Amino acid sequence: MSFIGRALAILRKDLQAEWRTKERLSPMVFFTLLVLLVFNFSFELGGAALREIGPGVLWSSYVFASLLGLGRSFADEHENDALDALLLAPGDHGAIYLGKMVGNLVFLLAIELLSLPFFALFFNLSLGFFLVPLLAVFVLGSACLASVGTLFAAMSNNMRLRELLLPLLLLPMILPALISCVAATKIVLANGHFTELLPHMQMLGVYAVVFTVLSLMLFEYAIEE
Amino acid sequence: MDKDGEIVLTDAAKRFGAYTALHPTNLVISRGQAVLLVGANGAGKSTLLRLVAGLSRPSDGKVQINGHDLQDAPEARSAIGLLSHQTLLYDELTARENLRFFAQLYGLHNVQERLDEALAEARLDDRQHHRVSSFSRGMKQRLALARATLHRPSILLLDEPFTGLDTGSATALRQFLHLFRGNGGTCILVTHRLDEADGLVDRLLVLERGHLRLDQALSSDLDQLYAHCAPYLDSAL
Repeated sequence: MSFIGRALAILRKDLQAEWRTKERLSPMVFFTLLVLLVFNFSFELGGAALREIGPGVLWSSYVFASLLGLGRSFADEHENDALDALLLAPGDHGAIYLGKMVGNLVFLLAIELLSLPFFALFFNLSLGFFLVPLLAVFVLGSACLASVGTLFAAMSNNMRLRELLLPLLLLPMILPALISCVAATKIVLANGHFTELLPHMQMLGVYAVVFTVLSLMLFEYAIEE
Repeated sequence: MDKDGEIVLTDAAKRFGAYTALHPTNLVISRGQAVLLVGANGAGKSTLLRLVAGLSRPSDGKVQINGHDLQDAPEARSAIGLLSHQTLLYDELTARENLRFFAQLYGLHNVQERLDEALAEARLDDRQHHRVSSFSRGMKQRLALARATLHRPSILLLDEPFTGLDTGSATALRQFLHLFRGNGGTCILVTHRLDEADGLVDRLLVLERGHLRLDQALSSDLDQLYAHCAPYLDSAL
């Protein structure tokens, strides 16, 4: 079976299991909504100030929610040592990374789409106007998070303090992408020009591609005991 | 020369930091041999098994399966099946979904027919659409065996496969292993209970603190097994 075929099989398996258990999506969605709610009541903002702080709140909630999902992404494999069965299958182990990474991307996009109407409601925004560029920022930002997050989730999977290790590894590494995500979202919400947005989108695109390729190369070593 | 089912370790060693789990080991297991691997806890049995399975890289030396180094030729892993005391299955998927997933990973042809056959052999065809989480230990182990042999491997690695099985399931597993050997399959069986290996193996390997202490052909007699293993098992207790 081809590399892509094996990655798709792993993706399908993960989506199928998640559809039944909702073990990852439920906590991620509730956490995101709770963060938005807390910030909504903590700050009484309006107008320009809202647009200043809103994107930071939004992406902070996504990054912390992603930690919940990423931490669980290898839990199924850990449970009955199923990871051994995956690693025993013939072919490049990078396919496991790709399947898991795309799965994490799907889950992140799902919580972003589900939380967006609540963000608009809490922060008094009309979404229709900037929905398309915002979705583009979401896709690239989530790809950055999923690319590096999946590798670190695999690395920390076998470790005793994995719940602690994953944020310690991920948060410093994701910082450059996070800065671009917040800046790009701010430009979109301020109805800025496309030329202002482009450098941030390029930065996110390059980050996602570089870390996906690097992770594909390093996954074999990351997953080793 | 036919290398199908052959396992060769050449000075294969495994270290974890300063700790040596397996000292340099040379070993040739030919096609059709059934090897019993024993040793006390921490003797290096699971380490050796994981090296052979390609789940762990040797720190030194090399491990070859059917003439291929698993690190250089990952496709060679398709010759190996692994059955352990853990099921290596997904509890939230049904029996059929589990097997279908692994059939896809192994790129099997005629998947539906192969799944029907494997589920019938595991006597789980009536429960194939039930989640694995609802299965008994025996049913899970039968399904685990179906998963391990779905791609018809020539080498079967068994790590404490009888753990938690009732008499009926253990007998069924023993029957399968006799059949597997009869068809020329190579197997390595790791177990603490020597009576489980009685009549199943023709060679004994004893590991002690990461060293291969004994490599002996057997006539599969239980008393002979006890006589060979007792000094090494007792000394490590």
